[in-house]
Formats: sequence, C-alpha cells, structure tokens
Amino acid sequence: MPTEEVILARGIRKTYSDNGVPVEALRGVDLEVRKGEFTAVVGPSGSGKTTLFNVLSGLDTPTTGEVWLAGKRISAMSGGELSDFRRDHIGFVFQAYNLIPVLTVSENIEYIMLLQGVPARERRRRIEKVLEEIGLGGMADRLPTKLSGGQQQRVAVARAIVAEPSLILADEPTANLDSMTGTGLLDMMRELNKTKGMTFLFSTHDEMIMERARRLVTLKDGRVEKDETRD
Amino acid sequence: MLFYLRLGVRNLFRNKRRAFIAGTAIGIGLAALMASDALIKGMEENLIESATQSYLGDGQIHRDGYRELPEVGKAILHRKELVARLGSDSRIRYFTERVMSFAMITSPANLSAVQLVGVNPEMERHISQIDDTIIQGDFFPEGEVNDLVIGDRLADLLEAEIGSRIVLTVAQVGTGQLSQAMFRVSGIFHLNITEMDRGMAFVRLGRAQEMLGLGDRIHEIAIQLSNSSYAVQERSSVWSDYSTGGNEAVGWWVLLPQLKMALELSQFSLLIIGLILFAIVALGILNTLFMSMHERMFEFGVLRALGTRPRAMALMILFEAAALGVLAVVLGILLGTLTVAALNHFGIDYTGIEAMGVTFRHVLYPQFQIRQFILYPIVVFVLTLAISLYPAGHAARMQPAEAMRRSF
Repeated sequence: MPTEEVILARGIRKTYSDNGVPVEALRGVDLEVRKGEFTAVVGPSGSGKTTLFNVLSGLDTPTTGEVWLAGKRISAMSGGELSDFRRDHIGFVFQAYNLIPVLTVSENIEYIMLLQGVPARERRRRIEKVLEEIGLGGMADRLPTKLSGGQQQRVAVARAIVAEPSLILADEPTANLDSMTGTGLLDMMRELNKTKGMTFLFSTHDEMIMERARRLVTLKDGRVEKDETRD
Repeated sequence: MLFYLRLGVRNLFRNKRRAFIAGTAIGIGLAALMASDALIKGMEENLIESATQSYLGDGQIHRDGYRELPEVGKAILHRKELVARLGSDSRIRYFTERVMSFAMITSPANLSAVQLVGVNPEMERHISQIDDTIIQGDFFPEGEVNDLVIGDRLADLLEAEIGSRIVLTVAQVGTGQLSQAMFRVSGIFHLNITEMDRGMAFVRLGRAQEMLGLGDRIHEIAIQLSNSSYAVQERSSVWSDYSTGGNEAVGWWVLLPQLKMALELSQFSLLIIGLILFAIVALGILNTLFMSMHERMFEFGVLRALGTRPRAMALMILFEAAALGVLAVVLGILLGTLTVAALNHFGIDYTGIEAMGVTFRHVLYPQFQIRQFILYPIVVFVLTLAISLYPAGHAARMQPAEAMRRSF
C-alpha cells in the first residue's frame, strides 16, 4: 500500500442520479498528491472538480476505484472512522467561508480541537498563535457576521490549519473575494505551504490561484486532461 | 457536552422571532392545559361542596338496607352509643340526626306529597344550608314546637306564607295508621334545588318522631368530617369504623354515584384535552426544528465534513430542542399563572345552574395545584425532547456531501 503520497486515487468513477437520469461525473481519475504540494485542480463547470473533492475527502464514496489518504484506504473505513479521519487529516476551506455564525472567531477555530480532545490550555495557545499568523489578532471574540468576507475566509483558513492536518482542501476559496483580498489570502496560504510544509489542493477557476499553484491538474468531462508541474 | 449545549441555545435564538413564536405556541398549549386542569378541579370542588354542604353532608349513616328501601321502620341501631362515639371522634367535625318519611302536606288551597324531615335545628345548622337560604321568616325560632320550614316552590303550590296553617299526614311505624298534625309555617327557604324547594318539609325532630311513633329512634345521621380534602375523605377509615352493628356509613360518592361518575368523566375529558394539546405542541416542535434544520443544511454538511460524529449532530439538535422546551415551559407557566389568576380574580358565576345532577351554589374559581406547575411542565419538556429525537436522528443520518448538495 502506498504511503509517501498524501492522496493516492486510482480509477475513480462516480455516477450519480439526477432526477432518475444517471450522470457520470468522474470517468476514471488517477491522481497523486505528495506532501507539501500547492496544487490546483482546474476545469470548466461540470468537469467534476467538486465531485472529485468530495470523493478525495471521504465526503462521498466513489462508484468504483480506491482512494488512499495519508496512507489509509478510505473505502475500508466506517462512517465514524471517516469522521475522525477527516477531523484529524483534512482541513476544509469553502467558497462561502461557512463559519458557524453563532460561534465567535475563536470558538469556530476551537471547534475542531474540541472534537480532537485537545486540552483547553493548548487550544487557547494555538488559537492565539493562528490568529496572529492570519493577521486577525484581537478579533477572537467577534462573531463572523461582524467580519468582512476576506476576514471570514482567513478565519476559515485558520480553522482548517489549526489542527495541523495532512491536507487542506480549498474549494474556490477566492470566488467571493475581491482581487486584493484574494491575493492577500493566497499569499498567506502560500506562505503556510512554504514555511510549514502544509499540503494544499485547490479547486478553482481563479487565474490568481492558477498563477501561484506549483502544479495544475486540468479536469474535463470527468477525466484528467492535463497534469502540469511548474518549477 | 457543554459546547453543544451552548451551540444548541445559540442556534435556537439565531432566529429570535421564530424561537419566541414557537416557544409561545407550545407555552399556550401548556397554559391551556394548566387552566383546563385548574377549572376542572375548581368545578369538581364546587360541585362536591354544593352537593355536600347544601344538605347531604360529607357522608351519612343509616340502618343497613335503608338506602335501598327507605322504610320508616328501618331506624339506625344503637343510636345512643353511636351519637356518643361521633361526639368524641376527632375525625368528625359536626353531625346531625334526622327522621324521614313520605308525607301528605295539605293547605286550605292545595295538597302535595312531600319528603318530611325531622331535624334538630341546632345540629342541622352546621351541616345543611337550609338556615342560610331562608328568604322569609326564621329557621325554627325559639319557643315554637309546631313550626314548619318549607321551600318557596312548595309554599307557592300551597299558597302558604309565614304563619299559614298546614296539615301533615304520615303513616305510623308498625301499624301503618295515619297520623295527622297541624303546623304553622315559620320559614320559607330557597335552596335553588328544585326537588328540595318543591318537595321537602322540615319539622322539629321530636315532633316527627312523635307523629311517626318512632320513640327516640332516627333514620339518618349526616356527618361533616374535620378534613375537608375529598381525596383524604375517600380514604378515611370513618366509613368502615361506623359501618358496624347493623348500620352502614357511606361517603357522598356512594350517595351520589352520578356525581362521582361525572367527575371521573371530567378527568377523562382533561386527558383527551391534554392529548390533543400535546399533539398540536408536538407538530409545532417538529415544524420549528425541521424549518431551522432546513435553513442550515449546508452548515450541517460542513460540521459533518469537519469531523463531527453523527451522535454529536443528534446531541446538538436535542440541546436546541431542550432550550426550546425550557423557553416554552417558562412562557407556559407564566401564561398559565396569569390566566388562572385572572379567572380566580373574577370567577365564573354558574350559581343556580344545574350540572351533573347538582346545582352550583358558589361562584366557580379555578384551583391552583402543584401538578400544574411541576407535572405538566415536566411532561411538556420531556415531550419536546422525545419529539426532537426524530429530527435529531435525521441530523445524525445526514451525509455531508448530500447535505451540502441539497442546500443549493
């Protein structure tokens, strides 16, 4: 069983029913993502990017094919094991931020550590540290609704990285941000990638992400059309 | 756990207006149940009081078999010992002796069949309300012997007034010979109970015994117990203690079985009202929780994606429901208390109206009871939690990818 890759996907096919009509969203995708990569999956709408992300993160099961994540075959895991695995190994950044609106900034970041059973003192230490890293020190007690879109997305990144996961999946993270805010956010993520060796996998249409990505995987009609690595 | 509790409470108040509308709706259900219970309890007390205090007493002692076939010869046995026991029994507050017989009452204008009752006026005052409802004359004034107290309807029939001469005819015990005596009307009462106002005539105990040839024998002892709680009275040992030596002692629930059955029916009605209200409350809870969940479908998907286990998802919904339950209970108790207090302040005037074979004699006031403030709120709270198991299970079974897809 392969272990050096953060993600290893082989022969992924996914067919789902759309009002009774079978739709083949993925048609045999092979993909490896290694530790420390800053990779973008690109492609037009309907090319299968979101379905691929769902399958790679264990949010959805492939119709056929296998996915190994941090060395573990996720199809062999039960629902509860998958929940724990996502909690410990995957950080999510969504297009619409998707912070819990009734929790403060620090509580949103703390949530995943609570699930992990991290002691309170350690949780506080990590929250302070990560808030400084994303430039939101002093905003710990604010509710997400009191923050700008860019600030909310930074909190979402903080929530994704605070548990130090093996992989951060970012689905169109800049889609709702203006270009300046988006650039700032991407620079911050790239910095985390460089300094901490965190592995990022983006799904995007955004030129800014494509420019910064070290590897571009192009999906078309549910297949990998192109896989380019940049120096 | 504490985190999910906090999250549940905050989620409930995410939409404050909806939370308060849902809480108030459930609270109104609780308040309606509390008020219904208080009213039914008040009505029961009122009816029992009306039945027992007007004439019946809390219970009565007769000779065995007298109630089934009230013959003049069936007098209470061992009267003297019985009266002595009753007089020294701390469980007995008051008692009165009565002699009873069918009689013919005749005036110069008319005649009628009546129930003749011989009473000891001083003892009778404590048990019945005949003396309180005298509308003309007096209730057995001092110094009179042949005085007669009748109801206003009978007085109208006989065209009698205070001082009118009236003849009573009875059949004597043993021989069956007719015995007649003339009386003067000294008091006219209006109990607002048709059969008493129209069909009863009261004379002094000694005169009734004399006419009937009973000697010192009596037919009935009506008693009032020291403890006014009807529930306590029903369990009292008084009834068995005095049901000896050929006599029987029974409570009002035996003497008025139709009232007892009607009261049991009212409890059943309360149960039906409760079930209907709880069904409405249950649907309200389901609607509120599912609406709230539907709006947060993507959020549920995110929580699951972050690694929240199904049990924790269910717990979060249960805490949200618990918060709704607490809000509803607080509002319900408040509304229920205000409603019952308002009804208690004004009362409901049914006096003179007959229900379940008894005429209301007092203004109806709802009765506060501890179960209205403890039992019903607990039932509503537990019901809220029980009903929320369904949406909680739904949240637990939610697949993250599906939840995120369905939100669009």
